[in-house]
Amino acid sequence: MIGLWLCAVILVLAGCTGSSSNEKTKTLTLWYWNRSLDDGLLKAVEQQFPGIRIDAQKIGGDFKSKLKTTLAAGSGGPDIVAFNDWVTELFASSDRFYDLYELGAAEIEDDFLDWKWQLGVTPEGTMIALPIDTGPTALYYRADLFEQAGLPSDPEEVHRMLSTWEDYFEAGVQLQQHFGGSVKLTDNISNIYNQINAQSETIYFDRDEEFIGESSASSMRSAWDLAVKASELGLLANANTSSSEWNAAINNGRIASFVGAVWMKEILQQAAPDTTGNWKVARAPGGDGNNGGSFLAIMKSSEYPQEAFEVIKWIQSPDNQIQTFNNINLFPSAKAALEAESMHVEEPFFGGQATGEIFTESARNVKPAYFGAKYANINGIVTRELSMVALQGKNSEKAWEDALNRVKKELLR
Amino acid sequence: MNRPVEPSPMPPHQAEATNSRNNRRLMSTIWKHRKEYLAISPFYILFAIFGLFPIGFSMFLSFQKWDGISEMSFNGLKNYQFMLTDPEFWRAVSNTLLIWIYSTIPMLFFALIIAFLLHASFMRFRTFFRIGYFLPNVTSLVAVAIVFGTVFSNNYGLLNYVLSLVGLESVEWLNKTWGIQLAISVMIIWRWVGYNAIIYLAGLQSIPSVLYEAAKIDGASGLQAFFRITIPCLRPIILFTVITSTIGGMQIFTEPQVLVGNDGGVSGGGLTIVLYLYREAFVNNYFGYGAAVGWGMFILIALFSILNWRMVQGNSSNH
Repeated sequence: MIGLWLCAVILVLAGCTGSSSNEKTKTLTLWYWNRSLDDGLLKAVEQQFPGIRIDAQKIGGDFKSKLKTTLAAGSGGPDIVAFNDWVTELFASSDRFYDLYELGAAEIEDDFLDWKWQLGVTPEGTMIALPIDTGPTALYYRADLFEQAGLPSDPEEVHRMLSTWEDYFEAGVQLQQHFGGSVKLTDNISNIYNQINAQSETIYFDRDEEFIGESSASSMRSAWDLAVKASELGLLANANTSSSEWNAAINNGRIASFVGAVWMKEILQQAAPDTTGNWKVARAPGGDGNNGGSFLAIMKSSEYPQEAFEVIKWIQSPDNQIQTFNNINLFPSAKAALEAESMHVEEPFFGGQATGEIFTESARNVKPAYFGAKYANINGIVTRELSMVALQGKNSEKAWEDALNRVKKELLR
Repeated sequence: MNRPVEPSPMPPHQAEATNSRNNRRLMSTIWKHRKEYLAISPFYILFAIFGLFPIGFSMFLSFQKWDGISEMSFNGLKNYQFMLTDPEFWRAVSNTLLIWIYSTIPMLFFALIIAFLLHASFMRFRTFFRIGYFLPNVTSLVAVAIVFGTVFSNNYGLLNYVLSLVGLESVEWLNKTWGIQLAISVMIIWRWVGYNAIIYLAGLQSIPSVLYEAAKIDGASGLQAFFRITIPCLRPIILFTVITSTIGGMQIFTEPQVLVGNDGGVSGGGLTIVLYLYREAFVNNYFGYGAAVGWGMFILIALFSILNWRMVQGNSSNH
């Protein structure tokens, strides 16, 4: 029996090599980082596309620097490259990448979440990057602590009662009064500021790259004020996200809740094994937002752009996104993938709640936003000033002025 | 020899002839010893590629505006102007100097004492102690920074635990400017004290014992011998350690980066010059500006090395 199988395999293999020796094998080089794509899926590419060999290289270390060095050198780049949420920094170099609309991306546009799709489209309307995953946000909270403090603990109710940030802060005051200071509502000032901006359509720049932080349409000032308010009310544990301090505070119950992206789930589960079963997830106060998420692009230096596009289109097809979600927990960007059954799996860490249901709803309601090439620089300046307010008691008006002055100086560089 | 010949005592054609004869002789001596030249060449070739070229290129880059990808454009002196008027740059300079003072003075002091004790005749298991003191120097810097991060951690740190045992209030070390600088300094001291002690030890061993014997005969006390013989004889060694720790201290980067992140912690207490350079170039993508900061740092280090040299040399001429 096995012998027969072997014969068959050999025959098939021989057949394959026979046919492909007529046509030249096309090699596509791909740069990605660990866990940005499903390795199993990459292996399957060659079966899916006979005649294409995929050379997938995991680039370690500072991926962005390496990509930029390659772009600066002007040659030696891969055919396909993964981007993280710094995609906007590359808009200025959009001529180095294929406009995916020219390769037929418009056909699959409707398959994807529109806000995510738009993040890969430059203000001039060329599309340089195809969505991989998303990071919809929600409120992670300790249902047991909420209940003890007399707050709602059911996700639906939490969402209804704490629908705005003000409601959330009020609940925080009640919670902290109940526990007499041993529990804080949330982690740190920057996270509040960033999460409010993540829920907004307009933050620092409009699509013409003009700074709009001071206009009323921008969420910059309101996010600042709310973040400062949380600090003044003493609702913060002042533990930086992803620090050992944060891990300890989360695990020993000092932090009762935080707004975070879907990928915080794994970080939380690793940081807080002692609190298994006590956490729940609800739609975030203030609305749905997104943190991070990556993309795939095709470099202009590629010899086979059309083939490369077919490959990335296949990798990011709804079915394959579901597979990626099941294997390595990347949250999908394709609408159909949000309907997957695995979104309804109950999780013991969250007391049997299927958190996928919350995150899919969040993902569907994120507003399209434009970040601008200097988003990270500007955001760094503002959050630095905010930490001084929270941790060193800097006057918040003075800090706001310092932040704005510094931002304006930065924009002139 | 294409350039016009300058006026010389010899007639032009004769001078040219001598020149070319000298050149030919030089080339032929080099050719004769080509194997030796070949043997020493790898260093120079590697230095040219990885040392000389980057130095030259960074000089060029410091006058350009470049985000790392798009075309460079000439920026004149704007990078330097921005640097000199940026309060964060001066903040970084003062942080670096403070951390350098907090770390170097205690470090060299402890190193001298440790070296003296290791040299003392009553000391047993000397090799064990020498290795022990040197060990921190070969430990991975990132691991060290992570360990110290948990020691100085704001709420759940080892140091705060010790304070609570003694009944003292805990301190949010890494939320305070001085706390961050103290943590970084302690890290530097811990890592480098053994290294400097070994160097001092070598210096101590090179002082001829006849000097001490003569002093003893003259009735000098142990303390007198230390200050009148040991310290003066060690002066060149001390100069060496001061200069190397100045250069090292000006380049502190990994400790604050791992301990408090790219921004140097709250209000940038740990923002050193190199960390600032790194952030501006590799996080904020101002590569031209980063190069300019590199040259600013070069000038600072040069100034301080000269200052150190003067101070240590000046003292010796007083004697």
